[in-house]
Amino acid sequence: MRGVTPTARTSAHQRIAVPTSDALLAGIPAAWLFVFFVAPLAFTVFFSFGHSTFGGIAPGFTFDNYRAALSGFYAQSFLRTLRFAFAGSALCLLAAFPTAYFIARHAGRWRAAALALVLVPYFTSFLIRVMSWQILLARGSAVEMLLNFLCLHSGPLDVLDTQTAVFIGIVYAYLPIAIVPLYVVLARIPPTLVEASRDLGASPWQTFLFLMLPLARPGVATAALLTAVPMLGELVVPTLLGGDKGVLIGRAISSQYIESQNYALGSAMAVLVMIAVGVVVALLARLTRGFMEVAP
Amino acid sequence: MTRSMSRQKSRHFSRRSVLGLLGAGIAGTALAGLPRRAAAAGGQLNIYSWPDYFSTDDLAAYTAKSGVTPAITTYNANEILFAKLNSPAGAGFDIVVPSSGWISQLAGKNLLQPLDHSRIDFGALDPSLLNRDYDPGNKYSIPKDWGVLGVVYDPDAVGGEIKTWQDFFDAGAKPGASGKIRLTKAPSETVGPALWISGKDWNKATVADIQGTRDFLTGFAKHVKTFSSFDPQALASGAIVLAQANQAAARGALLQNPKLKWVVPGPKSEIWVDSYAIPSSAQNLDQAYDFLNFFLSADIQVKETEYLGYPAAIAGLKGKLSADTKLPDMIFGGSGVDFNALTSYIVNPDTVAAYQDVQNAVQAAAGG
Repeated sequence: MRGVTPTARTSAHQRIAVPTSDALLAGIPAAWLFVFFVAPLAFTVFFSFGHSTFGGIAPGFTFDNYRAALSGFYAQSFLRTLRFAFAGSALCLLAAFPTAYFIARHAGRWRAAALALVLVPYFTSFLIRVMSWQILLARGSAVEMLLNFLCLHSGPLDVLDTQTAVFIGIVYAYLPIAIVPLYVVLARIPPTLVEASRDLGASPWQTFLFLMLPLARPGVATAALLTAVPMLGELVVPTLLGGDKGVLIGRAISSQYIESQNYALGSAMAVLVMIAVGVVVALLARLTRGFMEVAP
Repeated sequence: MTRSMSRQKSRHFSRRSVLGLLGAGIAGTALAGLPRRAAAAGGQLNIYSWPDYFSTDDLAAYTAKSGVTPAITTYNANEILFAKLNSPAGAGFDIVVPSSGWISQLAGKNLLQPLDHSRIDFGALDPSLLNRDYDPGNKYSIPKDWGVLGVVYDPDAVGGEIKTWQDFFDAGAKPGASGKIRLTKAPSETVGPALWISGKDWNKATVADIQGTRDFLTGFAKHVKTFSSFDPQALASGAIVLAQANQAAARGALLQNPKLKWVVPGPKSEIWVDSYAIPSSAQNLDQAYDFLNFFLSADIQVKETEYLGYPAAIAGLKGKLSADTKLPDMIFGGSGVDFNALTSYIVNPDTVAAYQDVQNAVQAAAGG
């Protein structure tokens, strides 16, 4: 932005013409954000301090909802969700890094095709992609037959409705958005740097650890951000693949809003999740700062 | 019934319905649109109902007869119907289809209008579905179709016959069934059986009574495999051997695997009745009553039953079904179901959160 503003100011001609169109251009998204983001958010915050009536809110100012949201069952759900998002995001990164590395440095002229293959499933409905795993992981599925044929497993496959199935689904669903930022940073690392590192006597492992990984840091942080944040609100994968066991905070909030008709407690829990997301984003944003520093 | 999850229509209790339900769960209260205005020669009629809850053939027949094309908007949970009617966005619907448990809440907030009994032929309806405690005298509601809560199981795996809810919990703890059990996601249907075992009435249970079932149910949770919607394939493959279900879903499983058994356990179990009602803000009363009378006529009731897999409310329906209907008894809750032992859950704002808290605790405990 800093680079743009002075140029705009230098031209008197532009100064007269720009404000109306600029204001208009900025006004549309601002209005959109205000109506569909700020206003509902303000309602949520307002509700979170109120008293719940069945299916309604009596305005007030109390911390009772926050006390309930931070105690006992809901606190446990919250911690369970944090662990879930951390583990899911870590697994995604573990799977994404080698994939992105291969595409960036070894795929050659197939790079674009490989990236497209990674991204194409992402354009399919999220629900359809997750539901397909129900078929693959159920008893008597093709996967069961294949595993039995390869002698990797014997007997019926009972993976559906377990934590394992949830993590398989989570990694699968979020993998593309982890691969892309990693690919971007890895592709930008000049081959000459790797050559220099080798010339200076570093082993491949040392090159990876002390050269590639630090330079890839902003991509790692971005990938972690893009996977962990949505996982904090994940509702679909545990429901479809995990038998809806082990209540996560997204499910707990939805049950307060819908089943219990307790908008006040649901709102307080939602506000706490937003704060947690804010903290995670702020921490990871510090790490992504170097994104621009990587030479093209 | 507090959640539609546990009682999707039999023809599509599998993955497709979950898609729809999840879509609604996510889009939630926000997206369930405003009533679409239907303009036609015979006027307009706005219906707010469950997805795919009328046969398209019967709707077409109604349009051909009346000139009215009903505009149908859908919801996936009674809670969403309640929230919608309770807000300005709920104005303009002429017919809604709440489940039995929500009628007193809706009526209590003046969201429903008393029915004009002179315009409906109640005499043709099954008397055992009328004048039940969720709506005495059917002041606000007409039964549309109904279901019962029961258990479908593999007798070999659970090692014997199940007759009561106590048998259900005992069987579930046995090695052959542990880890292969499906419970519903409806809090009343999880807590209810535990209350019935100890001789309590789920509509009179206090918050302390409900909380009192928590330890027993969370202890049982380790045997539960899933709370997802009923999947007949899972019972056919043996991934699930013991499941709470309604009769229509169970019928689908029994048709695939005749070895399975169905029971409505004692001492008590649930009957839910999805019911037609007219919101206070309805604008098109003539069309609404005309539509109701058309859909309550005998031949349409038979067609709706065959379409939905749930029994419509007309008296003597069983004898009217076509002769090649498989397992016809199962449509009506199985042979020997005792209507006097069936009770309808009635939503009570004082206890609803306690029910949900126990349900959440059970689902969390099942996750280890």
